[in-house]
Amino acid sequence: MKHFLFLHLQSARQALHKILRQPFGSLLNLLMLSVALALPLSLYVGINSLQGWLGKLTASPQISLFMETSAEEADIAAVDRTLRGHPRVARYHFVSKAQALADLEKRNALTGLAEGLEGNPLPDAFIVEPRDAEPQALEMLQKELSGLPMVESAQFDADWAKRLYSLLELGRHLTWLLAGVLGVALVLITHNTIRMQILARREEIEVSKLIGATDSFIRRPFLYHAVWQAVLATLIAWGLTEWLVAIAGPAVSQFAQLYNEHVDLHGLRPAELLGVMAVSALLAMLGARLAADHQLRQIESS
Amino acid sequence: MIQFDQVTKRYPGGIDALKNLSFTIESGEMAFLAGHSGAGKSTLLKLIAGIERATSGRVMVNGHNLSRLRRSQLPYVRQHIGLVFQDHKILFDRNVFDNTVLPLDIIGFDRREATRRVRAALDKVGLGGKERVMPIRLSGGEQQRLCIARAVVHRPSILLADEPSANLDRAYALDIMELFKSFHQVGVTVVISAHDETLMEDYGRRIIRLREGQFAT
Ligand SMILES: Nc1ncnc2c1ncn2[C@@H]1O[C@H](COP(=O)(O)OP(=O)(O)O)[C@@H](O)[C@H]1O
Ligand SMILES: [Mg+2]
Repeated sequence: MKHFLFLHLQSARQALHKILRQPFGSLLNLLMLSVALALPLSLYVGINSLQGWLGKLTASPQISLFMETSAEEADIAAVDRTLRGHPRVARYHFVSKAQALADLEKRNALTGLAEGLEGNPLPDAFIVEPRDAEPQALEMLQKELSGLPMVESAQFDADWAKRLYSLLELGRHLTWLLAGVLGVALVLITHNTIRMQILARREEIEVSKLIGATDSFIRRPFLYHAVWQAVLATLIAWGLTEWLVAIAGPAVSQFAQLYNEHVDLHGLRPAELLGVMAVSALLAMLGARLAADHQLRQIESS
Repeated sequence: MIQFDQVTKRYPGGIDALKNLSFTIESGEMAFLAGHSGAGKSTLLKLIAGIERATSGRVMVNGHNLSRLRRSQLPYVRQHIGLVFQDHKILFDRNVFDNTVLPLDIIGFDRREATRRVRAALDKVGLGGKERVMPIRLSGGEQQRLCIARAVVHRPSILLADEPSANLDRAYALDIMELFKSFHQVGVTVVISAHDETLMEDYGRRIIRLREGQFAT
């Protein structure tokens, strides 16, 4: 077992040496892989940051239900009954027009506002907290409530946030799509790199097989090469993403501040970085393995 | 021990390179394989090393029935065999040391022990001190010695040499033969092929004579 580990360690070290020893050829490949990885990573980081902020914003969405000004006690009671038993409503409370006016006065320090007005122009209202924050459910509830008798309108307070949310949802789908496509690209690029390497070392492989090398012995250095390449590419891609965050972060924050919002771009968490590294290493290994198996079969049959 | 039991080898072209051969070479024996070009000497050695498979019959090597062995097990049989190829199969992209160390890397020796064994093998064949030399700089005789060093560095129990003295002066060829004899003397089974029988006759060993894939009488 110890010996087995030693052999793997040796292979890993030699493969890394090889990458570092021929910097130019490896570098081009590495950069290609890194950029391919950096694309979905940056998109992921950007969308994640925005979504985190939007999530806070839409975590407790409210629907304001304004009654017609001509609504009577009985109409209000009817709406109250509907809301009480409604499965999609988590909580709600009633704000009478008098209370609303008093709030308005207090908030804006406009005591005596009511005296200056011809009566109270504000409507009675219900503030409804839905059970489900998901945009589509919100929309349905809003439609339903605005259709109740003597209800003037039902306003979703963060309508624009909802739209942005679905836009980001689209972005998230796109990120995964991109990640999928580039994952396949990673497999193909590695496949090609390893295929070329094996072709270049064909004679050595043939001789090795003749004097007793197993297939796994022959494959091992190539698999390690692929894994190192993927790990290094992930690190470079991560660096690129961090760099992007460092550059774009302050600008985004400033822009958000214009709207009194607080948005922080934040990079990948360590666990996420490790995850990406593991997945790209696995994909690279897959590509290398496919190439090696194919080439070994070709050598065998020649 | 090497045992052939009614072995026939037919190549895809339809040529029977070996026809219904049966013989035994005991462990520790030194045997010669004689015959003109095309007689089947290389084919016979390749069957022992598992490089080619018998079309029919049974090839036993060190207790393994090669015709029935799984492909994935073949490398482990080969790791106990040393091969001196007719066409050398030296890797010209690396120096003498790196050529010689290949079988040890395959078996998985650590660097320290591998270096020690490579030095010993190169000393034995007379290439001591040439570890860093590239093979292209070696004479024909030295290249042959390099092949022998690589074949014996992992101390195989069977040593197969396919026309190792071809293209060498008689004096050189005799040196090489002496080298093989010394491996035989430490217990290695040695099988050497040659088309020139005069070299073999001096040794008083068994000579297996082939002609068109059969024993010549
Ligand atoms: N790979 C091959 N495919 C087809 N025929 C072969 C192959 N190798 C050898 N032969 C034929 O088998 C016969 C024996 O060849 P070989 O074993 O190389 O003889 P030797 O080594 O004694 O010169 C020859 O007729 C040769 O042409
Ligand atoms: Mg031959």
